[in-house]
Amino acid sequence: MADAERIYEAMKRSIETYDSDAAVAAAEEAVAAGLDLLEAVEKGFADPIRELGESFHRMEIFLPELTMGADAMKAGVEVLERALDEKGGKIEKKAVVVIGTVEGDIHDIGKSVVATLLHANGYEVHDLGIDLPATRIIEAAESHGADVIALSALLSTTMLYQRDVVELLQNKGLREKYYVLVGGAPVTQAWADEIGADGYAHDAFDAVQVLDKAMEGRGG
Amino acid sequence: MNFKEIAKRSETGPLTESKDFLMKAVAANAMTLTKEYDVSWDGKSLINMDDDMADRCFQAGKELFVRTGVYSMNSSRVIEFSAEEVDDVLRFVRPELPMGAGKDRVCAHHREVEDPRKPFVFCGPFNANVHEEMFVRLNEVFSRERIVDCLFFPGYLNEVDGQLIRPTSALATRMAILYGQWSREAVRRAGRPDMAIAGHAVMAPGEIACTNEEWGLRSTDPRAIVLISELQVDDVSLTRLAYYLAYGCPIYMAFTPLIGGYGGNPAGTAIVAVASFIASVMLGGEIVHIGPQHMNFKQQTNQHSLFLASLANQAVARNSNIIATTSHTTSGRPGSAQYAHEFSALALASVTSGSNVSGPRPSEPLGFNNVSPLMGRLFAEVAHAAAGLSREAATPIVEALYDRYKDNMDLEKAPKGQPFEELYDLATLTPTPEHQALYDRLKEELIGLGVPLS
Repeated sequence: MADAERIYEAMKRSIETYDSDAAVAAAEEAVAAGLDLLEAVEKGFADPIRELGESFHRMEIFLPELTMGADAMKAGVEVLERALDEKGGKIEKKAVVVIGTVEGDIHDIGKSVVATLLHANGYEVHDLGIDLPATRIIEAAESHGADVIALSALLSTTMLYQRDVVELLQNKGLREKYYVLVGGAPVTQAWADEIGADGYAHDAFDAVQVLDKAMEGRGG
Repeated sequence: MNFKEIAKRSETGPLTESKDFLMKAVAANAMTLTKEYDVSWDGKSLINMDDDMADRCFQAGKELFVRTGVYSMNSSRVIEFSAEEVDDVLRFVRPELPMGAGKDRVCAHHREVEDPRKPFVFCGPFNANVHEEMFVRLNEVFSRERIVDCLFFPGYLNEVDGQLIRPTSALATRMAILYGQWSREAVRRAGRPDMAIAGHAVMAPGEIACTNEEWGLRSTDPRAIVLISELQVDDVSLTRLAYYLAYGCPIYMAFTPLIGGYGGNPAGTAIVAVASFIASVMLGGEIVHIGPQHMNFKQQTNQHSLFLASLANQAVARNSNIIATTSHTTSGRPGSAQYAHEFSALALASVTSGSNVSGPRPSEPLGFNNVSPLMGRLFAEVAHAAAGLSREAATPIVEALYDRYKDNMDLEKAPKGQPFEELYDLATLTPTPEHQALYDRLKEELIGLGVPLS
């Protein structure tokens, strides 16, 4: 048990120091020690990355630190996932999310922060990038087996394309399959209601809370 | 800097991924330079008082820019510049820029810290969503305000006949043409037919279609290009830039440094902001607009943004001839006292720090036409009054104003305000008695706080 606590502490420190190499080394040690790997994910990586997210929200740390912390977690979790896979187990995710910035819009930062925080909070996230046509977003949602489509738009002219994604989902008979979350500087709850989106988030932290609540309701 | 050379470098510069540019070039260097040049924020000041730190911030920003260059998002290449090229461009930056024509010709100028000269005022709907039937009328009222030097961003026409407009569509180009025609019609109706109109229709490449010497935006009207945070540019912006430079328009270059983003805290972000000021003039910008963004607030009057705007503007004012202007976006909306408290606080901070002013605007307008020309007048009056103040005199006023709205910066809590059609009598295009009374009351309040309004 003492060994487990020591390894969890090393994993935690790797996130706090944004050190991907240390995260991989600690994860490998956890596998070699025969620890409960699901518990290792939760105690070693998930708890500290959530704390990092909260520090980011309080502006005690900034985007570079959050990004490096998330990269460290990703590197470490990959080691644990491979080991779990060999044993026929897997890490349960709250939901699978595809996220991207809509067509005609090349703003990336806000969307990337949402992706990072969702990932840090137990979601499987596929960041599709920027300037994405509705068809590509839906194709990606289908191929990744997504539960959630998260759409960012930073311009009041491009938020129109959020509506197009919802409309195309309807036309394809896929609307009920996905929870559609919208956000971005000009986006409001009123706009989300108008286009028939399921949820609206005013920032990255809010996105996590909105999805947590929604996925709980879905049993996801 | 020759534009063809910039366009070439966007095709031939070093190839890298956007994330690597932001993390390894921008963030890592900003972090190092913040320490190296000892640029910091004390956690409470709203206006920077340290001239030496402003100078260090400029040097750090210049060094950051030479290390990073500008990232071309479409080609994934870095447009690099040497230190000599930067020095050369900065040496020949023009401190004055005429715009408008005939009797309506005006001149924007570089300002110094605590400069007694009045700031140039860009004021108008500032990209609020505007209904097509209200577009000419409310822009006419803004243009009637003689204190406004340039009609600023006459509003988004993102809907026609109830149809939302897709930004790259033929309809968007058609609306860009109407944008030009109706903006010109508005200044004609206001009796200022050759008044400068700063155009930013945000309709992708179609935006250039509003250019026409007879009925639209002219070569004497500044045209906006917006860099992407941080230090990035896209092909659409470079395409517009190629056209506007060839046409001879004054280039209004804007950037939006992100507090809490790749620059980190307000001090590190101020360094990124200085680098962005320099990037803007390297690309051809002649008036440079800083519009700080924030990870937790959508507006620009929080304490971090106030400090950042003051420090970055002071750095540029003291060390270059760049004509700077600061964007003013608020949580409170037109029709509320909070709106004026917020834009006044930022105007006092930015004007005493050497900036001109652009705005104001609620960061989250509710519905269409959420603008007030009368509040635009008050904004301009406060900006003019600030030109007579020292930073020391402005600081307690900014603090008092900040105290009034600091607990209401959340957009949900901030006052909802009213649209133009409720704040003005549409028959006479004059403020309603209630709106006029709000203006009178606010003016008295600001005078009471020490703003030297006449």
